[in-house]
Amino acid sequence: MSAHRNRLFAALSISIAAAGLSAGAYAVDEEAARALARQNGCFKCHSVEKTLDGPAYKSVAAKYRGKADAEARLITHITTGEKAKFPDGHVEEHKIIKTKDMNEIKNLVSWILSL
Amino acid sequence: MNNPPKRLGHAWQVLRRPSAKYSLLSLLVIGFFSGIFFWGGFHTALEATNTLEFCTACHEMRDTVFQEYKQTIHYSNRTGVRAICSDCHVPKDWTHKMIRKARASLEVWGKITGAIDTKEKFEAKRMTLATHEWERMKASDSRECRNCHSYDGMSGEFQKQTVFVKHQKADAEGQTCIDCHKGIAHKLPREYRDSNE
Ligand code: HEC
Ligand code: HEC
Ligand code: HEC
Ligand code: HEC
Repeated sequence: MSAHRNRLFAALSISIAAAGLSAGAYAVDEEAARALARQNGCFKCHSVEKTLDGPAYKSVAAKYRGKADAEARLITHITTGEKAKFPDGHVEEHKIIKTKDMNEIKNLVSWILSL
Repeated sequence: MNNPPKRLGHAWQVLRRPSAKYSLLSLLVIGFFSGIFFWGGFHTALEATNTLEFCTACHEMRDTVFQEYKQTIHYSNRTGVRAICSDCHVPKDWTHKMIRKARASLEVWGKITGAIDTKEKFEAKRMTLATHEWERMKASDSRECRNCHSYDGMSGEFQKQTVFVKHQKADAEGQTCIDCHKGIAHKLPREYRDSNE
């Protein structure tokens, strides 16, 4: 094999890997997001379509559409136990998600915002 | 020919022959104490199978459910009250315990014969195994959970309002812990879906 073809091959594989990486950073893994929400009991108060104790995830997505700080806002919301207002008017600390893995948390938030 | 039925018949005759040497009383006393001895040994063996170490000795458990459980509040919490495998999976009273042990032996048998001998096979079987536990807990009104928890013992002062109200309602409507608390100690099976999703 010539050195030239070797170099071409190396360049190709690097660009393919780079493309894979950037796609990985943005694509939402819906299955993983749902599994994390299930495991944390989020669906006890939220549904994708319906309003339960908490707002439907679709309406959360609508509320934040086009807002630059949406991701940061929701990460704060589900990791800090900030005050949440319930339909009957009372206020209590929102559930804190039980993982410290920021990639998993970001994936869940991206999924909600994508709905 | 010394065939088995004949030997057995002979042993039976010896057993049935009244003893001339020992009084009935001493026989009864010996019987009584060896009974305790065997029962105790059996019980000890049975208890040994209830320890955290025993339950996690095989790879499938050690690499899967045990790792998951170690991340949960039932393994480590503020007060150090720990729920181990048998607290949730083995009934405390004798009859239910025996039935559960016989079933567990079947699961161990499944391992030995290769039905569940790898992590992949375990994951493939997880929904089936979990469903069995859910059904068992549902049928017993989550008896093992209630050995430690109760609706009665929950305080509105310490539980968040929403949760407290949900629990009171659940109590009134006869709902049981496992109806709402699946996957508290392990990863939920891939195939599981929440009714609200
Ligand atoms: C006990 C009920 C309950 C549980 C459990 C719960 N939520 Fe909520 N959630 C609420 C309520 C109520 C609100 C509305 C808060 C408000 O508007 O003040 C809310 C709001 C939200 C919002 C929108 C926040 C915003 O800024 O508009 C998101 C996103 C959210 N929850 C995600 C989650 C996730 C993820 C979980 C699981 C880790 C979860 N929730 C578990 C009750 C719950
Ligand atoms: C050996 C006693 C014991 C048994 C059995 C037991 N638990 Fe627990 N449970 C505890 C303790 C201790 C805690 C932690 C309390 C604390 O520190 O706040 C706890 C916490 C919980 C929590 C709170 C989870 C959280 O993240 O805050 C839930 C829900 C729960 N248990 C449900 C169950 C269910 C359902 C079962 C039956 C399948 C069960 N428990 C069996 C002792 C037990
Ligand atoms: C109707 C559904 C339902 C039933 C039935 C139910 N729970 Fe809950 N429970 C909830 C919800 C919703 C929460 C709050 C969300 C979460 O943290 O998962 C909760 C939270 C808890 C907590 C944590 C409380 C806290 O302050 O952090 C414990 C402990 C608990 N439940 C135990 C039990 C036990 C034990 C039973 C059976 C005797 C039971 N639950 C039955 C819905 C239920
Ligand atoms: C606090 C209660 C609790 C404790 C402690 C507990 N489990 Fe479980 N286990 C459950 C429940 C509930 C299920 C039913 C499936 C589910 O909801 O995750 C289950 C399911 C299982 C399953 C079926 C497969 C699956 O993942 O659903 C196995 C195997 C298992 N447990 C083994 C163990 C072992 C081994 C330990 C100790 C390291 C243990 N469990 C500790 C409550 C518990």
